[in-house]
Amino acid sequence: MVTCLDVQVCFGKVMDGDPAGMNVSQQSSSMEVNEDMDTKSESEHQPSKDALIDISFCGSTPLLWKVSDMKRCRSAGVIGALVGSLARQPRQNVRLGRPLELLQEEALLLEETSTAAASLQTQDCGDEEVHLEAVRQYEAGLESSYKEQCALALEDKKTVLRRIMDEKENGTDDSGNAIRDRLNALDQAFRFPLPAMAVQLHTARAGFSHCPEERSFHSTDWPVPRDERLNTRFCVYRDLRHKGFYLTSAGKFGGDFLVYPGDPLRFHAHFIALCISMDEELPLSDILAIARLGSNVKKTVLLCSPRSRSETEKDESVEGDVVYSSLQWSSMV
Amino acid sequence: MADRDTSTDAHKHSVFEELLSPSELFEARSRSHKIPVRGQKDFLPNGSEQQRARLQQSLDEHWTLLAEERVERLGNLVKAVWIPDERLVELQSPAGKFWQTMGFSERGKQYLRPEEALYLMECGNVQVFYRDLPLSIQEGYERFLSHETVTLHQYQVFGHLKRLGYVVNRFDPSSVPSTYERQLNLPASSWDKQRKQLKRKRSQSPVSSDKQNPSPVEKTTTEDQSEELVNASESPAGQTAPDPSLEESMQSADASDRTWWMEEDVQPPSAQSQSAAPRWDFSSISFPDLGSRRSRSVSLESPDPSLLPGALEVGGCDLSPWLRRLNVKQEKLSQRDRERQRERDRYHRDINSDREVRHCRNWAEYLQLVEDRRRRSQKDKPVHLWENEVTPLTQPGQCNSHRELLDQISIIKSSSLPEGVSSLSASDQWTISFDVYQPDTVAEFKKSQPGKPYTHMCVCSFDGPVPDLHALKQLSYQSGDVPVTFAVVDHGDISFYCFKDFKLPTDSY
Repeated sequence: MVTCLDVQVCFGKVMDGDPAGMNVSQQSSSMEVNEDMDTKSESEHQPSKDALIDISFCGSTPLLWKVSDMKRCRSAGVIGALVGSLARQPRQNVRLGRPLELLQEEALLLEETSTAAASLQTQDCGDEEVHLEAVRQYEAGLESSYKEQCALALEDKKTVLRRIMDEKENGTDDSGNAIRDRLNALDQAFRFPLPAMAVQLHTARAGFSHCPEERSFHSTDWPVPRDERLNTRFCVYRDLRHKGFYLTSAGKFGGDFLVYPGDPLRFHAHFIALCISMDEELPLSDILAIARLGSNVKKTVLLCSPRSRSETEKDESVEGDVVYSSLQWSSMV
Repeated sequence: MADRDTSTDAHKHSVFEELLSPSELFEARSRSHKIPVRGQKDFLPNGSEQQRARLQQSLDEHWTLLAEERVERLGNLVKAVWIPDERLVELQSPAGKFWQTMGFSERGKQYLRPEEALYLMECGNVQVFYRDLPLSIQEGYERFLSHETVTLHQYQVFGHLKRLGYVVNRFDPSSVPSTYERQLNLPASSWDKQRKQLKRKRSQSPVSSDKQNPSPVEKTTTEDQSEELVNASESPAGQTAPDPSLEESMQSADASDRTWWMEEDVQPPSAQSQSAAPRWDFSSISFPDLGSRRSRSVSLESPDPSLLPGALEVGGCDLSPWLRRLNVKQEKLSQRDRERQRERDRYHRDINSDREVRHCRNWAEYLQLVEDRRRRSQKDKPVHLWENEVTPLTQPGQCNSHRELLDQISIIKSSSLPEGVSSLSASDQWTISFDVYQPDTVAEFKKSQPGKPYTHMCVCSFDGPVPDLHALKQLSYQSGDVPVTFAVVDHGDISFYCFKDFKLPTDSY
């Protein structure tokens, strides 16, 4: 018995996504950098030089630490993955917190569009005087915070006692008087010990030491070398991103990227993108494996190959289009 | 967000934006600790207002959760200091509950490893200072994680497992007992001690450190062994004459401490006072055969005095009481046993009863006979099969069961994982990173005696190669009898894989 396999291969451009209008095209006019990060901005900022997103590298992995940076890169369509403990509940794995780990392609895209730059690690402040000044400032800050918290705690206690007093005054017993006495004595008797003070444990760099952060503006300082594989993936990533799709990593699905029509928070992925260079040979068994996988998870498999420069007629500094093929099982009836 | 009076530099302003004011810190005491549940996702974006609103709500929730800073009571924080030269974090105030499973003491001080310190920072239990200023978690990642300590991928796996409750330690290759050590069953290793304690509860088998045991101790040298054997055979224990002399010789032995004995309270064995002991010539020493039915000797004569150490006088030995104790009677088989034996011996031919074999005078003639017989029997075999270079693997009638047949025709022999490991070179790409212990043992977990780990963790990533057979063999060898799990890190997602040994069934019933 001969079994026929019919793999339907479709060529053509992938439909433009982004009907929700989350992503504005790159040619938006430059805007002033909005310092107030509380308002949710949907349009992409064309940043001025001194407000670039800081990408800090841990080894060869790009990480983002500041929430403002994360908001900005999400509005640019870069999703990333959270890999740290969540501050509210650090001992669970369901929902993770900062830092945000970026794919190499995501970091490259941000760097290419001059939205971000790699920040070099801060060196130890060599100047002893400056350092001592910083320590003094920090300790002074703690001291003033303690005093303020003392006052706040005192006020809080007074409010509580007054409330109890009001409730007791409606009653008939004498305990109201006892509480009034306590209230009056509170200013002298109140103690707010130092260990009771609340202290912040900073997630992102707090900038105590006043040494200026250095930024790298040269691509030669990029810690990850660009080999052919990274180039292929980056071309595909950039192209799909320009078409308005959101992409995340797809290692568990056997592919390179998961392609979402909208923000991954609200939509399921539609495609599994596999990046192959134009002249790479792919054994049929691999194609079968990934087609089978795709049909199991109900996602369409996309084979993506950037067209090599020589094939495009136009002389572009950017590489040519990407060719997409989708795989679908179809039955012979 | 803070309204801090900062310098005019816009960049500096953005650095301080995540600082909380004292009032915010105070208010943080009554924060909610619940995480909102995520709702169902939609399929296709359709540009509707409802979708946009829901997306906005999800995003707002998302940013609120992420932007929340850690605020702790100063009294709950353990103060610590980062020491870059030693790559360790030293505790400066007493440790909390985490000390039961993390950290170690050295030279009177308490230390945490960098990955443990970073994890505790993320949990909000420890505040690490460097040059009198507190480190943020970003700085912790930058300073603590490196190739010399623990990489980011390894830290991600570490954090993941710790958040689930496992106890995770760095792997120390020297802590794994080698197969030889396991064979020797050394009590000194803490790993085995725990197992041994469990064992003792079940059976009463005596442990090797029984000092009163006069029988040869396992670790005797060959000379000692032979000497004691000779003594035992010539003078079975219980006789008065040899025993005190044995003990006497032991006591007169070199009393210098023999440090290779694990049990120091065992008496040192019969002395080897001369450094070069004479070698026995076993061809001239006859060991009496007391057990076989054919020997009729009831007494042993006294041994050659040249064989005896020192000035010993050993007389002849009457063996009859011993032979009485030995069971030299014919085995009385039941009817069924006899039948079974008949079945077994049905086709048994005693080779000595073969006339032609008896005619052979030496080995060469015997082998010649075997060869002749073989050639004769070969005449029955089809020539085209048996006379060429390639011959069949088996003949009809040669095998009794499927297993035998499959064994004979199997050209590819199955091999087990530990085979050939010693010839492998070490690879630095595949190393075991962590020992992992199960969460439910936390209550009894002792850092000094952790016992056998649940598994060994090897960290790799989807970008790297799949472990090949070389790596698998080497890792399982390095890991001893603890299973190895591979933690594959893919952009924040961690999947765990392990390889299971599997044997194909060879017999069919």
